Amino acid sequence: MKKLSTLILIFLTIISCKDDDNTVGTDTDTIGTVNFEFKNNVGNDLIDLNTGSYTNQSNETYTISELKYIVSNIVLIKDNGDEFTYPVADSYFLINEEVAESKKVNLVDIPSGTFTKIKFGIGVDQSKYPLNGVNNFIPTAEESEMLWSWSAGYKFIKFEGAFTPSGGTMADFILHIGSHGTTLDNYKEVLLDLPGELTIGDGTTSNVAITADVAKIFDSTNTHSLEVKSDIQVDPENAPKLAENVSTMFSVATVSN
Amino acid sequence: MKYLAYILLIVVGVACSCSSDKEAYVPISENKELEFIVPSNFPEPTYNVKMNPPTEKGFELGKKLFYDGRLASDGVVSCGFCHIQDFAFTHHTHIVSHGVDGALGTRNAQPLHNLAFMKEFTWDGAAIHLDLQPIIPITAEVEMNETFGSIIKKLEERPEYVEMFAEAFEDKKINSDNILKSLSQFMIMMISSNSKYDKIERNEGSVFTADETAGFELFKSKCASCHSGTLFTDQSYRNNGLPVDTLYNDIGRKRVTGLASDIYKFKVPTLRNIELSFPYMHDGRLKTLKDVLDHYSDGVTDSETLDPLFRNDDNTISGIPLTEEEKQYIITFLKTLTDDNFVNDSRFSEF
Repeated sequence: MKKLSTLILIFLTIISCKDDDNTVGTDTDTIGTVNFEFKNNVGNDLIDLNTGSYTNQSNETYTISELKYIVSNIVLIKDNGDEFTYPVADSYFLINEEVAESKKVNLVDIPSGTFTKIKFGIGVDQSKYPLNGVNNFIPTAEESEMLWSWSAGYKFIKFEGAFTPSGGTMADFILHIGSHGTTLDNYKEVLLDLPGELTIGDGTTSNVAITADVAKIFDSTNTHSLEVKSDIQVDPENAPKLAENVSTMFSVATVSN
Repeated sequence: MKYLAYILLIVVGVACSCSSDKEAYVPISENKELEFIVPSNFPEPTYNVKMNPPTEKGFELGKKLFYDGRLASDGVVSCGFCHIQDFAFTHHTHIVSHGVDGALGTRNAQPLHNLAFMKEFTWDGAAIHLDLQPIIPITAEVEMNETFGSIIKKLEERPEYVEMFAEAFEDKKINSDNILKSLSQFMIMMISSNSKYDKIERNEGSVFTADETAGFELFKSKCASCHSGTLFTDQSYRNNGLPVDTLYNDIGRKRVTGLASDIYKFKVPTLRNIELSFPYMHDGRLKTLKDVLDHYSDGVTDSETLDPLFRNDDNTISGIPLTEEEKQYIITFLKTLTDDNFVNDSRFSEF
């Protein structure tokens, strides 16, 4: 009888503690960690800030002095389509080429499971405003000059350097892309297939190596020549095209569990 | 049987102890929710009050922050420095806003009232949500010239703020989200709805004088296409034909959207408390209401984005044809939009 009552007790404890949530992550006992490691490339080569010289498809050579972008709203997706959404308020990250630590995004308390896709945003999704705790990202954005202070809006990507058109003279380029008030939303979502399964177990740490090929900012869905326009800040014609290009520049190189 | 009772006891105990945090309601007895009352003649608020319900403590914190120079780099220029209650929270007689170290802005400080009913903020609609608006004056070099990182540090050093944030917010944290939420809680409560006009609109016994009636009729036919509804603004952006001031060369809404079609457009301002909120226009260039009406009758200048309302059918400039007598009637009517209760409401006063 005593054994039976113990069994009943254990059984009831288990069922009574079951969370009502039907999304991934019902079993809070087994959680792991994932690191997203961003590598910013031009083609197959890692960027060398200031020193590396590259050529785009408009035959313009360029050097890069600054590259920053905001990664947000991270979601891990299982084969059957079930999604684990990382807590949105903690889901804003600034990737700064100049700062090594910024390129490693540490995601904790991920429920165990096997994931085959990831999804994230580039920028800040203003359609979800203001419920997602994004305002706590202000100090980080401020320090990195990713806030258009006159508009209270975020620069989603900041890409600066110098370029020389074929047979021309060197000039600076400044590409700052964000949303334009409520008239133009340049927030983009990126959905990536993983080359191998991401398996989270209890206490495990996995790494997902993400490559951003910034050459695609100039040459992808759209082609952008810096000679045509080298200063893009609140540009309703060019900013959406560049934002579209940016959304194509990511891929996952490796997954290690 | 004894065992069964045992089991039941344990089961009940376990069931209770397993209730999740989400369900556990811990009443914060000392922090009462404030009643947000929409005046019966007002539209539904655009601000989602349920997502940031004003509370006694949140409102008090927001008010303290609003009047605290710590939000500026010089420790002096608070929000209330340029938004003075006696003048419907505008900067009395100042043409453009003033900032730290005597810096001058480029635009006239706008009145603060009925903000919960506005869709976008500032003269060009740069802030798309009330919770975001304070970022602009706080971080602008020519205004408060401060960073949120620095403000958080300054506030953390003050025991009274540590306590007030802990009382006002469940997470008890001093962070930018809570700073902006408390400022919004203070500002959305700033409802101005007790002018003579309101009392007439709500049939509360007041009546217009003959001159006010004449002014209201003129207003309806000559002004209300833009200054529409009980908020006296359609919240659109328009070029009203002010000559461009080359000192500022302010491109207006184009700065936000980048669109050539938005150059020199500014938000149609509310006319509530307009008697008190002088000087007028986005750059404060006009001193009196008579000056404003003189602009519309005789001063409208042409440009590509001039609002079509100021043109005749043949594309020539019409402005708003008004006689001197008509202007006086309209001004008499506009003064019925002054809300003395609001400008004297001690809930919003610094002291």
